[in-house]
Amino acid sequence: MQIQYKPRRGWLGTIFQIEILQGMNLTLKRLFSKPITRQYPDERPQVCAGFRGQHALVRDAATGDSTCVGCMRCVAVCPSRCIQIRTHRDPKAGNRRVIDDYRIEAPRCVYCGFCEEVCPVNAIVLTKVFEYSRFERPSLLFTKEQLLDNWDRFVSQPDSQADGYLNPFWRPRGLAEGDLPAPKRLPVPSEWSGEQQVVGRLWRQHLPPGHV
Amino acid sequence: MEILLLIVWIVILFTVVMLHVAYATYFERKIIGHMQVRLGPMRVGWHGLLQPIADGVKSFFKEDIIPENADRPTFLAAPIICLVAMMSSLAVLPFAKGWVLADIDIGLLFVFAMSSLASYGVVLAGWSSNSKYSFLGGMRSMAQVISYEISMGLSLVGVMLLAGSLNLSAIVEAQGDRFLGMYLLPQCLGFFVFFISMLAETNRVPFDLPEAETELVSGYCTEYSGMRYAIFFMAEYIGMMVMASIGTLCFLGGWHGPFPVPFFPPLWFVLKVYLFMFIFIWIRATLPRYRYDQLMDLGWKMLIPLALANIVLTACLKAILT
Repeated sequence: MQIQYKPRRGWLGTIFQIEILQGMNLTLKRLFSKPITRQYPDERPQVCAGFRGQHALVRDAATGDSTCVGCMRCVAVCPSRCIQIRTHRDPKAGNRRVIDDYRIEAPRCVYCGFCEEVCPVNAIVLTKVFEYSRFERPSLLFTKEQLLDNWDRFVSQPDSQADGYLNPFWRPRGLAEGDLPAPKRLPVPSEWSGEQQVVGRLWRQHLPPGHV
Repeated sequence: MEILLLIVWIVILFTVVMLHVAYATYFERKIIGHMQVRLGPMRVGWHGLLQPIADGVKSFFKEDIIPENADRPTFLAAPIICLVAMMSSLAVLPFAKGWVLADIDIGLLFVFAMSSLASYGVVLAGWSSNSKYSFLGGMRSMAQVISYEISMGLSLVGVMLLAGSLNLSAIVEAQGDRFLGMYLLPQCLGFFVFFISMLAETNRVPFDLPEAETELVSGYCTEYSGMRYAIFFMAEYIGMMVMASIGTLCFLGGWHGPFPVPFFPPLWFVLKVYLFMFIFIWIRATLPRYRYDQLMDLGWKMLIPLALANIVLTACLKAILT
């Protein structure tokens, strides 16, 4: 580490307290700069792609129900263990799993987004909705119906872009395109797929030298 | 009849000053907000213009808590001492030619006396709250007042020498309405000392040790709540106004300006006072707080010798020139 000492000030600087004047100059300049405050309820923040907000179960347009297949991967991966799924076997449909209930305990969720990454059918998503605070805790324990309603409410928002919403970034990182389950093989920017995908520590090495 | 007229004048002065105090808080919050690249109050009224009124209503209706172990009569009296002392010094300030409630000959001395009396309120509040933070705040206030009152008094002796009077109107008249007549130029040393002592006297940043939020919770007013807390605030802002007025009257030529204003003679006075207020706020937005021993150091080792030198210099020059 290189330590930069300030040059010693001369006697003129001591008498006239140059540093104080410099500081006053700075604050005066800031007085006429544009404030960065966002007047929140009037001025909406811009929500970026990949934002992880309120939980929702995607409603399948064909069946009107969730696309979840009850594979329990999200339950297994969830670090805060806030997902509970109850399933039963349906002998009529080739003994496949049918989910009875899908519960998310939102107050415990850490919004890591692992559930949506591992979901093979893109059933669970984290929407861009961020205003869902409530006064009672139980109202944040989402059941399956509530999660489906969350999706409906999100899609009905004018700027939700629900078509493109599924694809961008929710895939396990570092996996080759062929190893992904079919619904995850969606066109994404090249830096998010295959060899060029850079995340985490590699991101800094990926940047041209002298950038950081 | 004369007394009735005087009462009317007092009521008018009180109302106007209270409105100014209320909007001085708004002014301060806005300016500090913008200096910190924020917006300041924006919600109550257009651009937060009704914020001071909302604050006043809020603090008026808040619960008035008196700590169980507090020294009750002193606790109740302290904010009132503060406010009354500060407000009574308003009486001697000439806002324009003839616009003064009490044109007494010891105006300047009276203001000094009242501003030191106001710090009794602070000291008593610190003592009677029976809390360590309040106590430390009160103690600091006492030490600060002792060291800065002296330098402030001495810094204005030069002005008294030049004007030959302690009457504030006479001091303004002695400066005349020319730019060069202002005592700012011949008394620049005195002005420097006065300005720093003024900051210390009104407990403003960088000398706000009595109510240092970061170390003493809220200093002497930690245990106060509701209206009593608001009274301390009012006293502080009136103190700022009074000190700014003294600075204007003694160094910036009072109500004299580049040209006389026909219908509202105190206009220049008000503008100058607000210039002072702006500098107060500007300094608050810029500087950190002094350490306690540095404060004492500055007061006793720098300002008092400087003020004494200023007196000697002024006296010698006056003796030579006349």
